Amino acid sequence: MKKYTLKRILTSLFTLLAILLVLFILMQLMPGSPFNDEKLNADQRAALYAKYGLDQPVIVQFGRYVVNMLRGDFGVSYNISKNTPISQLIQTRLPISIGIGGAAVSIGAIAGLLLGLLAALKHDTIWDSLATIISVIGVSVPSYVFALALSYYFGFQLRWFPMLFSAKDITNSSVLPSISLSMFTMASIARFTRSEMLEVLGSDYMLLAESKGISGSALIFKHALRNALIPIITVLAPLIVDLMTGSLVVEKIFAIPGVGSLLVNAIQSNDYNVVIALSFIYSAMYIGIMLVVDILYGIIDPRIRLAKKGD
Amino acid sequence: MKKLKPAMAADHPAMAAEAYVPVDTDFRLKDNAGEIAIDTNFAAQSFWKDVLIRYFRKTSAVIGLILIVIISIMAIIGPGMNDYTYSAQTLSEKNLAPRVKALEKFGIFDGSETMRTSTGSKSVNNYIDKGLEDVYYWFGSDNFGRDIWTRTWSGARVSLIIAVAAAIIDMLIGMSYGLISGYFGGHVDMIMQRILEIANGIPRLVIVTLLLLVLQPGMLTIIFALMLTEWVGMSRIARAEMLKLKEQEFVLASRTLGAGSFGIIFKEVLPNIIGPIITQVMFSIPTAIFTEAFLSFVGLGIPVPQCSLGSLISEGFNSLTTHPYQIIPPIVVMALLMLSFNLVADGLREALDPKMKEM
Amino acid sequence: MKRMKAVSVIAASAMLVGLMSVPAYAETGSSDLNVMLETPVESLDPQQATDGTSFEVIADYTDGLMQMDSDGAAVPALAESYEVSDDGLIYTFHIREDANWSNGDPVTAADFVFAWQRAVDPDVASEYSYMLSDIGQVVNAAEIIAGEKDKSELGVTAIDDKTLEVKLNVPVSYFLSLMYFPTFYPVNEAFFESCGDVFATSPETTLSNGAFVLDTYEPAATAFHLTKNEDYYAADSVSLPGLNYQVIQDSQQALMSYQVGDLDTTLVNGEQVEQVQDDPEFTSIGAGYLWYVSPNIKEVPELDNLNVRMALTTAIDREAITVDVLKDGSTPTYTAVPLEFAAGPDGSDFSGDQTMFSDVCSYDAEKAAEYWAAGLEELGISDLTLDMVVDADDAPQKVAQVLKEQWETTLPGLTVNLTVEPKKQRVEDMQNGNFQLGLTRWGPDYADPMTYLGMWITDNANNYGFWSNADYDAIIAECTTGDLCTDAEGRWARLYDAEKIVMDEAVIFPLYTQCNAEMISSSVTGIDFHPVALNRVYKNTVKAD
Repeated sequence: MKKYTLKRILTSLFTLLAILLVLFILMQLMPGSPFNDEKLNADQRAALYAKYGLDQPVIVQFGRYVVNMLRGDFGVSYNISKNTPISQLIQTRLPISIGIGGAAVSIGAIAGLLLGLLAALKHDTIWDSLATIISVIGVSVPSYVFALALSYYFGFQLRWFPMLFSAKDITNSSVLPSISLSMFTMASIARFTRSEMLEVLGSDYMLLAESKGISGSALIFKHALRNALIPIITVLAPLIVDLMTGSLVVEKIFAIPGVGSLLVNAIQSNDYNVVIALSFIYSAMYIGIMLVVDILYGIIDPRIRLAKKGD
Repeated sequence: MKKLKPAMAADHPAMAAEAYVPVDTDFRLKDNAGEIAIDTNFAAQSFWKDVLIRYFRKTSAVIGLILIVIISIMAIIGPGMNDYTYSAQTLSEKNLAPRVKALEKFGIFDGSETMRTSTGSKSVNNYIDKGLEDVYYWFGSDNFGRDIWTRTWSGARVSLIIAVAAAIIDMLIGMSYGLISGYFGGHVDMIMQRILEIANGIPRLVIVTLLLLVLQPGMLTIIFALMLTEWVGMSRIARAEMLKLKEQEFVLASRTLGAGSFGIIFKEVLPNIIGPIITQVMFSIPTAIFTEAFLSFVGLGIPVPQCSLGSLISEGFNSLTTHPYQIIPPIVVMALLMLSFNLVADGLREALDPKMKEM
Repeated sequence: MKRMKAVSVIAASAMLVGLMSVPAYAETGSSDLNVMLETPVESLDPQQATDGTSFEVIADYTDGLMQMDSDGAAVPALAESYEVSDDGLIYTFHIREDANWSNGDPVTAADFVFAWQRAVDPDVASEYSYMLSDIGQVVNAAEIIAGEKDKSELGVTAIDDKTLEVKLNVPVSYFLSLMYFPTFYPVNEAFFESCGDVFATSPETTLSNGAFVLDTYEPAATAFHLTKNEDYYAADSVSLPGLNYQVIQDSQQALMSYQVGDLDTTLVNGEQVEQVQDDPEFTSIGAGYLWYVSPNIKEVPELDNLNVRMALTTAIDREAITVDVLKDGSTPTYTAVPLEFAAGPDGSDFSGDQTMFSDVCSYDAEKAAEYWAAGLEELGISDLTLDMVVDADDAPQKVAQVLKEQWETTLPGLTVNLTVEPKKQRVEDMQNGNFQLGLTRWGPDYADPMTYLGMWITDNANNYGFWSNADYDAIIAECTTGDLCTDAEGRWARLYDAEKIVMDEAVIFPLYTQCNAEMISSSVTGIDFHPVALNRVYKNTVKAD
């Protein structure tokens, strides 16, 4: 097991490095340049390129970037926040995105699980249909529509929560964005929980458990839900990464200083270092979570571990 | 489930104590050829017929299918149902509320709207105020005086084409990739999975925007961009199915009979996993519609004045508080499309998965 | 099973109740001015900043030698007084004795020398370095930017602690008005060195000498705050206790926040104008930008044809664009220099008379069709397809769609395809000549028509159409470095001659002068709006309780 884990960690590190190189090449392919204000002339652009070392070959830039990165230096922003070190730029924003994304995942996962359970246990009843309708609406309506509707009713009309994010009142001002972000997670988890639970409930070991006299909540939570959870976690993992790395739309609407809108702005203004750093964080989180899920599987289910060894 | 009758003959005389040597006359044909040929419990039916029956037994799945058919038909004929075109502007007829000839007598869709201003709200009918008594915009007109009915259905057409094309191309690429990776296993699988991990580890937005910037903006570019990012899910499923199936006897059998890898992958395994693949395609269509809508929101969608459901929604977004009727048709059509594709996918999944049948 | 249902229902409802029982959101009662920004600050380094938002905030806490009065004229700020030599080549500024930085250091002439040298230093690579060279004509600025001379040779010297002397290559009539431009703002060298690489990225790394002090700020912040600077030399005249900035990119949210009282001033988009146009708090404010279409005259042979260009410009119904589509109060513009930013020697607006060239560009479908027919005949073609590059922002896309429609309806045989791309890429395409028609804008850098007319001389980087006309070049040279430098009225008249050439040749198709539709709370008075350099100034702003 140790050997397998070590091997997975090493390949993950290699993958990350490869992703970084791909990102560098992508940035080279990107049309336009970070210094493209209509007021700049060609000489000034050349001076700026030289200043930031962008006139060097990609491989040199890449090598230098990796060396600097190992020292914790992600370079500076070219135009979103001129000459600000990326680490400083991201430092305050990433926790906000992770916080709101984390809240959204928690709300979505818990509500989705309950909804899915309800639907599965009351299969083919009005409850099932109701849960299905809610979850289908959740995946059918864009999150910005939710965001605006919530902000209009709970922020503007009822004035229960602030309409805009505020650093002074993070808890209250995170409620509306978290809920609007959680809708999609909730809906997907509900649908998935429902079908997994239906499958588990119909299995022989559930029949066995039931015939052994186990009943009620013990049967549902100890036997059924536990077995259904493993595939649910697989679905949840990439959703966590997506939410924690920020959502452009919701950040834009609620004026949240997160990393999602930063990435979009950076892409559109060719702020290479910001794009690379944020994409890299995304990749690292994604690969990290995948790694954890993989290793957890190995621990939980020996069949998977053995199968992997066989490869 | 098939309860075959025991074929043993039980009418033989009881065995004697001493060793008995059987003779030919001890055996006779039961003459039950007719019996074994006809399965009395089950009508002979193919797998697909079975799936169809199971599918149509599920109301929600049928509703979904009907909705898709209706929206597709409207996307084809809708823009031609009146004299307006999707791009023609009549600035003097801008921001008119929905008005339908047959319905206006009942006080609905009569072209009146409530203007909520910061100084109070008032009900206006711009058709009458501007002297446009003979003008009808079924879904209203937008801020350029373009017909929202026509634009909604042309938008639905664009969105559907993009989504379906992207999903099908995805399927082809993702499926082949997953099948090949799963079939060969070992180092091939290892390398192919790392490539996939790299492709998946880069935020989609970066790849999609980049492509949209490098290539000429337009429908083909959007399809291409969606295709490049959506195939990963498909390939995962194909690979998992391949891993499950490749050790089975029928694969072994055809390999023994000398079938090549290509033949085994695409002729033997593929037909057996077509069910989950189709389900995945159905699920990836709404994702593609969503992604396209997001691109419009970022300003990288279909170039104006062409429209898609997503671009109509982001255009209507600015008028949400002033003229809400402008955003309602595209949102409703999009939500219905998403809903119906999801319902169809759900229905298909259950119909294709025999385990669910007993439930 | 029944119990299970009960459990889940209770859990679900408990969650909902939990969410809803949060106490109602309390309004922050404060007499700070709450200001909405559309975009975050890009840089607080006065020599690196280039955008209006950054300039506004920098100017909140930094004063230059001069400032703008409420009419936009240059009046002394840090400079108590100044002298100009008779030949107009030497400016001597005397800095106020009571001007101090917020760390207690006095503001000295050396702070200006340090800042100005930074602005032209090739290592700093300031984007606005040309404000000192091409526009300000400070001695040696151009050579230093080009790397030919050391920055210490810049024509600016600290005679003593409080006296600054500036030498110019040629007399520059608008030089004083440049002094309120943030690129010319002072930087305290000792403080700058102590900040290392992170100068102007947090309250700790900024130093104030102006009306306010930066309180909370982080790079690209969506919300930040400034407090009144009690040590400001004119602190008595500043009434606001503080400024509260909030970046809101979604216009619906902005208007709703304004309506609940969280904002004192906000931008509204064209669609929302209908909702608020009867409101006494609604107003429309000139933003200075001229929006125009630039035809690529050099690379596209069809656009080299004057009749085709004339057809295109006369086929544009500018009124329809501003009234029916933009709705934010933007003014149709029939001149190559936009309205209301440059006042002449007699104090009148350079472009005040919009009828001056209206015969060559105002909307006339018949005339346009005639030009078009003539142009097509000269070219020997019957139809034409043109591409137009457009920014992927809301307003330009709207305008482009109307232009396409107007051109295609008025000019038979014309097809216009729109290429929508992010602004950076659109600018690059135009700079490289990789376009046919381009919808673009230009904001004035200083209060003189030359900020526009200077663009269309041969080989100027912003002359996207690569148009070239020797007569025109001669007039511009005469007005910038030639005989007319010191003759304000003669120069003014000559600039009209230059503008006439641009209009007659249809070098650009001017569309409109941008205005911003804004809501300003009735309790707030005295926000100074300017189309040039500093868009909003709050020194004289009063907010009633």
